[in-house]
Amino acid sequence: MSFVSRRRIVRSSLDWLLPCCVLFLVDVSIADDEQSRIAHGAKLYAAQCASCHGKLGEGVASKYEEPLYGDLSLADLANVIHKTMPDEEPQACVDDDAEAVARFMIDTFYTAEARAKNQPPRIALSRLTIEQFNNTVTDLVSNVDRVALPKGERGLKGQYFNDRRTKSDKRVIERVDPKIDYEFGEGSPDEKIKPEEFSMIWTGSVIAEETGVYEFTVITGNGIKLYVNDDRRMLIDGWVSSGGQSRELTESLFLLGGRSYRIKLEFFKHRDKTASVQLLWKPPRRPREVIPARHLRADYSQELYVSTTVLPPDDASFGFPRGTAVSKSWDEATTYAALDAAAYVADRIDRLAGTKGEAKDRREKAMKYCEAFATRAFAHPLSDAERDRLIVASFKDVEVEEGVKRSVLLTLKSPFFLYPHLSADAPDGYDVASRISFSLWDSLPDRRLIANAKSGQLLKPDTVRREVQACLDDTRTRTKLRGFFRQWLALDRAEEMSKDTELYPHFSPELVSDLRLSLDLFLEDVFWGDTPDYRRLLLSDTMYVNHRIADFYQFDDFKAETDADKGDHDFVSISLKGQPRAGVITHPLVLAALAYHKETSPIHRGVFVTRNLLGRVLNPPPIATVFEDAKFDPHLTMREKVSELTKSSQCQGCHHIINPLGFSLENFDAVGQFRLREKERKIEAVADYKSVSGKVIRLEGARDLALHAAESEIAQKGFIRQLFEHLIKQPPAAYGATTLNTLHDRFVKNNFNVRELMVDIVTVASIQP
Amino acid sequence: MSHYLLGRRELLRKLGVSAAALPFVSNLPSIAGAASASQRKQRLVVMFSPNGTIPDEFWPDEEGSDFSLKRILAPLQPYKDRLLTLHGICNKVRGDGDSHMRGMSCLLTGTHLFPGNIQGGSHTPAGWASGISIDQELKNFLQSNPQTQTRFGELLFGVNVGQRADPWTRLSYAGPNKPVAPIEDPYLMFEKMYGRIEDQETLKSVLDDVQEDLRRVRQLVSSEDRRLLDEHESFVREMEKELQSGQQQAYTVPIPELEAGVANENDNAPKLARMQMDLLVNGLANDMNRVAVLQYTKSVGGARMNWLGIDEGHHALSHEPDDNKDAKEKLVKINTWFCEQLVYLAKRLEETPEPGGQGSLLDNTTIVWTNELGKGNSHTLNNIPFVLLGGGLNFKMGRSLKYNAQNHNRLLMSIAAGMGHELKTFGDPNLCGDGLLTDLG
Repeated sequence: MSFVSRRRIVRSSLDWLLPCCVLFLVDVSIADDEQSRIAHGAKLYAAQCASCHGKLGEGVASKYEEPLYGDLSLADLANVIHKTMPDEEPQACVDDDAEAVARFMIDTFYTAEARAKNQPPRIALSRLTIEQFNNTVTDLVSNVDRVALPKGERGLKGQYFNDRRTKSDKRVIERVDPKIDYEFGEGSPDEKIKPEEFSMIWTGSVIAEETGVYEFTVITGNGIKLYVNDDRRMLIDGWVSSGGQSRELTESLFLLGGRSYRIKLEFFKHRDKTASVQLLWKPPRRPREVIPARHLRADYSQELYVSTTVLPPDDASFGFPRGTAVSKSWDEATTYAALDAAAYVADRIDRLAGTKGEAKDRREKAMKYCEAFATRAFAHPLSDAERDRLIVASFKDVEVEEGVKRSVLLTLKSPFFLYPHLSADAPDGYDVASRISFSLWDSLPDRRLIANAKSGQLLKPDTVRREVQACLDDTRTRTKLRGFFRQWLALDRAEEMSKDTELYPHFSPELVSDLRLSLDLFLEDVFWGDTPDYRRLLLSDTMYVNHRIADFYQFDDFKAETDADKGDHDFVSISLKGQPRAGVITHPLVLAALAYHKETSPIHRGVFVTRNLLGRVLNPPPIATVFEDAKFDPHLTMREKVSELTKSSQCQGCHHIINPLGFSLENFDAVGQFRLREKERKIEAVADYKSVSGKVIRLEGARDLALHAAESEIAQKGFIRQLFEHLIKQPPAAYGATTLNTLHDRFVKNNFNVRELMVDIVTVASIQP
Repeated sequence: MSHYLLGRRELLRKLGVSAAALPFVSNLPSIAGAASASQRKQRLVVMFSPNGTIPDEFWPDEEGSDFSLKRILAPLQPYKDRLLTLHGICNKVRGDGDSHMRGMSCLLTGTHLFPGNIQGGSHTPAGWASGISIDQELKNFLQSNPQTQTRFGELLFGVNVGQRADPWTRLSYAGPNKPVAPIEDPYLMFEKMYGRIEDQETLKSVLDDVQEDLRRVRQLVSSEDRRLLDEHESFVREMEKELQSGQQQAYTVPIPELEAGVANENDNAPKLARMQMDLLVNGLANDMNRVAVLQYTKSVGGARMNWLGIDEGHHALSHEPDDNKDAKEKLVKINTWFCEQLVYLAKRLEETPEPGGQGSLLDNTTIVWTNELGKGNSHTLNNIPFVLLGGGLNFKMGRSLKYNAQNHNRLLMSIAAGMGHELKTFGDPNLCGDGLLTDLG
């Protein structure tokens, strides 16, 4: 259950907190006593401690500067005070008094929790997140400026030769093949080619959308070589056939999402009785498939350096992943990634620095390259002192290659690289450039941003806005937005779901993959199409559908609109007007992900709608309760079971919000199919929901819910906040108490234009003093 | 194969910081000393050089323990009493593939090649071998027993093998259709064996600067943010400490120092050969493996031995007729050079005391020097060069043996038996005749 897992996150980071909560909740008299003890502690603190430690433990210059922040338990902290404080007179505050002071500190400022409660959020120092680290390392080492996917024809360029060797005078066909999936039998690809021996070369690019491990497979009975992203090292060597028997050759490769990679497949047949070749892949968390044309381009892409070190997950205890925590495993993983990158650069230093092994100025050119590398990495011109340490000292008394390694390693391990928003004073143009690029691309500024930084243009808000707009076009912005969709619509769940195969025999991994594509196409259509209106996300009555989806969900309109010959990947947007569906809320992928193996889950759906779509806050449940279907009378509907399970007043504190929202979606089963009945009983999807203002809203199904989410100001602000958090990796309140309201005002004025909203968010965060 | 997933353990291995947790330091005398002398460590090294030999400058005329070495084998004079030359061993595997292909891919497998699409200079095209090779068979045998298990079991070294994978380039097979590639780059091999020691050095050189940077950055941030940087700095300090303690880890034999920047190319073969052999001996001494392959170029290999004053490629020369005296002389030089490599390897093994045991590594290691052809210009698979050196197999050494055309499958079985692995047949059962060769023990 989503709320349980959220609770676990809170617990793991704040394990000690729970006993206190229980204490507060269980016994009111103790809680009262607690309050008076805290008040007593506050008085003692003000009298005996504040002069050195500051009113709220923030420290006092030239007295005790370190803030009093920590995570000692009450007893331990009390003991420290008892024994050591006040500094000059430790016996002045002991026993009960020391305990009271500790109570006051823990309640007011000592713990992170207390500070969050009592102080407005601030812009916390952040290191690179996983995505940011991987993107910057790729862009730095591969010298990527802007990213655009190849625009060429979909498919791979195929050259066919009437010989087992690929000799140019034997080339008889050149064309673009949308996919590589051929069964030639005992024949040949073309009448111009004799069946005894022939060969082909396919070249182009393959587009990886998600970051992760890709399995590439070639199925063939003949000879093949496959190269992906590296012309020098074969990914699959299947040059030697084995009696013409078909074999499956698979190798894995870690790829960074949102990028295109060069690919080359060579094939030859000689003497084997038959010929066949298929090029497949298995993207992360997706089923294996013949690589579809939408992921292939006939143009070549630049070779990219991809860091393959798996970094530990970013801290998501604030509700969104961010870089505000470090750990030993993070330090080790980033070190290892830096070593790999340094070795890669050192290996290719001659080509990268434009020099040769024997050249007299080789060292000089290598040093120049390293200086340019560090300058890009820090997104800031190097000071003389930095140049001395990073470049001159690294190359002192060592071979050129070792100098390159040291310099690159030092650059990538430097806090000026790992913490991209470090700045002593008011931000200069370079800081603004970094803020823009990391917000939109999770990567370093490009040459254009740096040029604008250098000329001082980025200190003008108007220019900032213009440059932010210009950056939207980069493919990395779309990749970052995909991450937002994943977060906003809780799509990680969708990748892990499994459904009862007896009840839903055709709900296959392939269907789930198609549904994901259907949802992505819709979201990208809204964000990047002609009408980027937030309300469409919730209210649209269109859906992208292919044959498999149309068959499963019985969208009969699909067949009327398309001809039956198109493959599984040919999606069309169909109108579902008159049907009870509405935007993302009723997209089958979202509904299915928020459901059990066999049954719906109004609680999962309700919590998701409350938090993600309506922007409301839910606290972790006071008691952990597990839904056990077997414990209920089997004749009950899911609505009845959930009502029964959550009827206590303890539960109703939140479930009076959650349940009606979930019940309003009960017309959709565990795989998102529309239904009118559950176990022969008519579904009751009408529910009364009490909004934040206290107004009761009658929801007669999914469309009413969608309408409320589209129109509610709180919901709109919730959407803005989530998008802000995803782009900026900080809460909007850290940028001023009115930031969210200002953004919302403009959102309304701009007719809920989500692209303008992105520009507003990034501009606000970039010009923040 | 996964070149991508590098978890914490892998990271530590690469950095060499937690080597103590890995099994390969177990060759220390204190541990190995407990084993009884009868359980001595037996090792096998297969050394391959291509394109046949010059028989009348290679094979001793005499039979038995009283024999003299001809020009090609003359460098082995100091090791004559530990030598066994086996004339009359024939590769009788027939079927698809030209002689070079079968000579190579059936040499250690003793079984036919699958039909396939790789066309040789003559005969039918072929694919990979249809069975496991004897080195891999012995590796599996040794690895299945905790007493003889080592970190790698087997290491395969190459010198100028080239980047092609086909039946001419692969000796070793993990099973049917499963060729195993030798590692021809000594730096890669070093990394495989010892982790990235150089990276450790590089890393150590920058960690002070990183800490200094972190301290400078501290001044730029608010007091709340300092905690994060302090934490970060503590991890950097920890890593520095771990690197320092990691350095003190014990190997029985110290890690060899490789000359830097030796490019993997034809002209560097003499250097590459030394580097690979140094690593090979080091691996055996540190008990990382008990089986090794050392493959010089490949079948049909065209090494240009400029360092011997020979400009033509080895394979082209090997096709010249017997009456081309110049070519013959050059081939004698080439094969003598290979023999000198064998001598260097033997010498290095002899100089290295058996860790925790008696004598030297050579006393417990047998090197089998072989070739894919008997003679280059005839492409015969009869009288394949087999020269055995060292005391790993309990064979009676110091002899020149002459068999009457025995299938090489029988020799492969005998080698396995010498390592304590009794096989009823090996490779094609029809070629195993009466089983083990007589006269070896």
